[in-house]
Parts: sequence; structure tokens; C-alpha cells
Amino acid sequence: MNGQYAALLIAVPLISAFFVPLLKGAGKNAIKYFLIAVTALQTGIAALVFQQVYTTGQPIIVMAGGWKPPVGINLYFGHFAALFVLIVAVVSFLMAIFSLESIKVEPIDKYAMLFLLLMLGATGMIATGDIFNLFVFMEITAISAYALTAYNKTGEAAEASMKYIVLGGIGSSFFLIGVALIYGSLGTLNMAQIAQLAATMNPTVAQVGLALIIFGLAVEAEIFPLNAWAPDAYQAAPHPITAMFSAFVVKAGLYAMARIIYLMQDVGSWGSVLKLLVVLATLTVIVAELAALRQRDVKRMIAYSSIAQIGLIALAFALGTQSGVDAGVFHMVNHAIVKAMLFLAVGYVAMTLGGAEIENFKGLGRRMPLMAFAISVGAIATVGIPLFNIFWSKVRIILATLQVGYTWAAVLVLAASVVEAVYYFRLLHVIWFEGDGEKINENLAIGLMVLFLAALVVVIGIYPDYVWSLAQKAGNDIFNVASYIKNVPLMGVGA
Amino acid sequence: MISVYYFGAIALVLIGLYAILVKKNLLKILIGLSIMETGVNLLLISIGYVSGRSAPILSEGIGPSQAVDPIPQALVLTAIVIGVATTAMALSVAMLIYEKYGTLNIEEIRRLRG
Repeated sequence: MNGQYAALLIAVPLISAFFVPLLKGAGKNAIKYFLIAVTALQTGIAALVFQQVYTTGQPIIVMAGGWKPPVGINLYFGHFAALFVLIVAVVSFLMAIFSLESIKVEPIDKYAMLFLLLMLGATGMIATGDIFNLFVFMEITAISAYALTAYNKTGEAAEASMKYIVLGGIGSSFFLIGVALIYGSLGTLNMAQIAQLAATMNPTVAQVGLALIIFGLAVEAEIFPLNAWAPDAYQAAPHPITAMFSAFVVKAGLYAMARIIYLMQDVGSWGSVLKLLVVLATLTVIVAELAALRQRDVKRMIAYSSIAQIGLIALAFALGTQSGVDAGVFHMVNHAIVKAMLFLAVGYVAMTLGGAEIENFKGLGRRMPLMAFAISVGAIATVGIPLFNIFWSKVRIILATLQVGYTWAAVLVLAASVVEAVYYFRLLHVIWFEGDGEKINENLAIGLMVLFLAALVVVIGIYPDYVWSLAQKAGNDIFNVASYIKNVPLMGVGA
Repeated sequence: MISVYYFGAIALVLIGLYAILVKKNLLKILIGLSIMETGVNLLLISIGYVSGRSAPILSEGIGPSQAVDPIPQALVLTAIVIGVATTAMALSVAMLIYEKYGTLNIEEIRRLRG
């Protein structure tokens, strides 16, 4: 079976992570360049997988050891996984370059190792085909995230990390109870077989199991009320890691949540779980936007805005319709680009000017015009001005919400967008119309990266059709469980 | 049939959750987290347990029909390893917190807010 090379997406970061300590003697810049090389390799493999999946239209299914599922473990690179693994790899590559400049705190070898494991965990969560491996990859992601949050070794970093550990520990325990309930009643861990057998499950057990799994994943996916760790961790973590959290770690959790929800769509009480998630997602948006309004630290403010956008995606996924899921995936892609750019630019500014407090951003338009430009593009795009990419996905999410009849949710989300506009325009005002200062030389590599991302934002904003068609295919991959079951070559066990 | 182990498992989870929610000392919270993980592991094991059957190791006189379900046992092994990693990570962060704040009382560790 061809396409088995896709397993390298898991193998490469894992093996490379173990090689990092060997490079320690060669100096710390060697480790940083090694990190760039590995992420570049990962991007290459991800691009191959993406290209193959989207040209043939067939998912790549990797079966460990040649055992057919459900006996063996499988990886599933469908349209969604192919698209998102590519995004994970590209963002990691950009952030590896950014690490070259921004990571001055020792020990750099541990940083590189955890960086690779974080990338591995997110890739695995997106690609895996059974729920227990989902748990394992989630824990790999979570433990590297805990460690990276505490990496700066300040009091704030330790506190943020501890909050994350306690919440994450509760979340993963509940996730495991959910897995136990599903295994206990269906006798399988394979996602395709779960979907096949879902109709036979006792509705009450399914409801409790699904709710527990959603609760567990909500910690990673930053759904209210389990997102208290997020702003602290975003603020305290090293700048490249913040961008990675927002751009793909959260997305992996959200995807896993959406995947499991739609796998179980045949169980009796499915609709009530969706309703719960709609309420939680709407609350996430509102609470995060209001909290963002009173932040003085720009990094923290953007972290709250990021949580609000995640709430919007969760809302789209919870609608239970094809158009909702498509819009959610589209928003995931757009948000990954915009937030990678924003955190990159803000992180670079904070690094150069010694802090992310809003006072430091006065006169940024004159001092660091490139970064100011990038932050402005990101801010305007996030608010949802036409001709920038997020406008299209926001409109589609609102339309999908109205279609299902959740008018109240659409109204509340739009109202929250107004709040969002207020604080982003306040930031723009500070950047362009206040203060003064000398021009600072900006790093060329970082300048090129933000320009590349800004160009993507504008290009998608003007020609949304191509990315929209990708998102539709990826959304169909999540929504259309029947074809998911058909694609996975199940052995004739149990069914 | 509901086995008595389920009650034990749920009780452990609830005791752990209680400790996490109520205790003020960071170490006690982490102990609560461990108790909760133990409860979850017990639940997983008891799902595969069948009374009167032996461990899932094929040997003389023990065929597949006389053994318990091996999958939950494999899962629990993995979960225990992950739990140990989490606990180790949490304890090292607790050490860092004690170094920076000079206390383990969570009410005094409140530099980040809003």
C-alpha cells in the first residue's frame, strides 16, 4: 500500500527529539539550525501528503505493522488531516526560525526537544485513528506544553504552568473515563468501528461518555469554563510557543472534539450534547471578548481574542450541519495564519522593546514599521473587515448559525465582535497615532515571515475561493462519517 | 452487572476531585490529582475484568476463553506511565513555584490575574 511514508510525519519529530541531546556539544546554534532543518523536512513530507491526498481524493491510511484495524493501530490522513498537518508543519518551521532570535534562556536543548514533541503531539492528534492513541498524543502535547510554559523560569511562568497542569490533569482523567465508558459498551477503540457501532450504544452511556470526552478535550481546546489557564500560559510562554499554542495546539484539540462528536452522531441523545456545546461556545466568545477589553498586556489581550475566535470555531462545529463544519474549518485555517502572524510580530516587538505592555507599543508605526504593519493587518483581519480573510469565514459561520435557527447565538457573537473591534482599534490608535521614537532596525528574516503571512491574509481575503474549496473538502471529511467508515479497511470483527 | 470495583473507582475519582477543589496546599492538590488518576485506572481495569478468569497470558490450561480482556490492562499501563510523567512535571513546577514565591499556599500565589 503506497502512502506509508506518511508515518514519517510521526517518526521524524520523535526520532529527531531524541537526537537533540547528542548535538548539545556542538553548540547552541547548531541545535537551533537542527530544529529548522527538522521542521523543514516535516514541511516537505506534509506537503507531499497534502499533494497526494488532494490530487487522488483518497485518504492515506497508515497501518502500524500491517495489521488491519481494529486489531492494529492506524493513522488516517484524510482531507482534513492532510491540510492541517501541513499547517502545523509550516507554522512550526516559521517558529523554529523565530526561535533563532527569540530564545536566549538556557537550556536550549530541552527547548528544542519539547518544541519537536509539541509538534509531534499536535500532528498525532490530528492524524490518529483511535481514541486511546488520541489520549496518548494529547498527553504528549499537554506535557510538552506544561514544560514549555514554565520554560522562562519566572514566577509567572511557574504559576501559569501549574494552573495548566491541574486543569489538564482533571481534563485528561475525565477524557479517560469517557474512553473507558465507550470501550466498555462497544468493545473497540477504533474510531471507524465506533462510528459503525454507535447506533447500538445505550443513549445514556453514550451521552455521559461523549460529555466527559468533550469536557476533557475542552481543556486543550480552550472552551469556557476550562480555559482559565490559557491567557496566563500564553503570556508566560516563550513567544514562538505562544504562536504555536494559538495556531495549532488548540486547533488539534478542537478537531479531535469535532471528530468524536460526529463519529457518535448515530447515538440517540446526540442533539442534546450539541446544544450544550453551542451554549458553551457562545459563552466562550462573550467572556473572552469582555476579558480582552480590559487587558494592558498586548500579548494577553491577543490571547483572549484568540480564545474568542476558538469559541467561534467551536460554535460552528457544534451546529451539526455540513455548512457549519465547513465554515469552522475555513475559520481554523484563517485563524491559524492570522494568529501566527500576530503573535510573531507582538513577540518580536516585546523582545526588542522589553515587554508587551501597551505603553511599549506607542509610536510603533515609526519605530518598527514592518511589525506595526503586520499587527495592523492582523488586527483588522481579526475584527472581520472585508477583503481580509477572516471576514469570509466569520460571515459563513454566522450564516450557518442562522440557518440552524440559533439566532440568539449569532446576535451574541456579532455583539462580541463589536467589543473586539473596540480593543483592536484602541491598539491601532496607540500604534499609529501616539508617541514617537527612533526607528529600530528590524530583523530581515522575521520581517520576511510576517510579510509572507500578511500576504496570505490579503490574498485569501481577495480570492477566498481556493481555500474555501479546500476547507469544504476538509469539512466533508469530518462531517461525512459514512465515507470515513468506508475508507478505513476494517477487519470483519464485531460489526 | 455492576461490579463493586466501579464504586471504588468512582469514590477515588471523587476524593481526588474534592482534594483538588478544596485544598489550599499545592502538594495536597497534586496528591488529589494522583488519587483521581488512580481511580480512573481502576475503572479502566474493572471494565475488562471478569470474575474467576486469569491474567491474559497464554500458558498451559489458559486459553483465550479463560483470560480477562487484555486491552484495558495495556491501556492502564500506558495511562500509569503518562500519569507518572504528569506528576513528575507537576512536582518540578511546584519546586519552581516554591523557589519563586516562598510558599505553596495557592491563595498567596496570585501574580497573574484578569
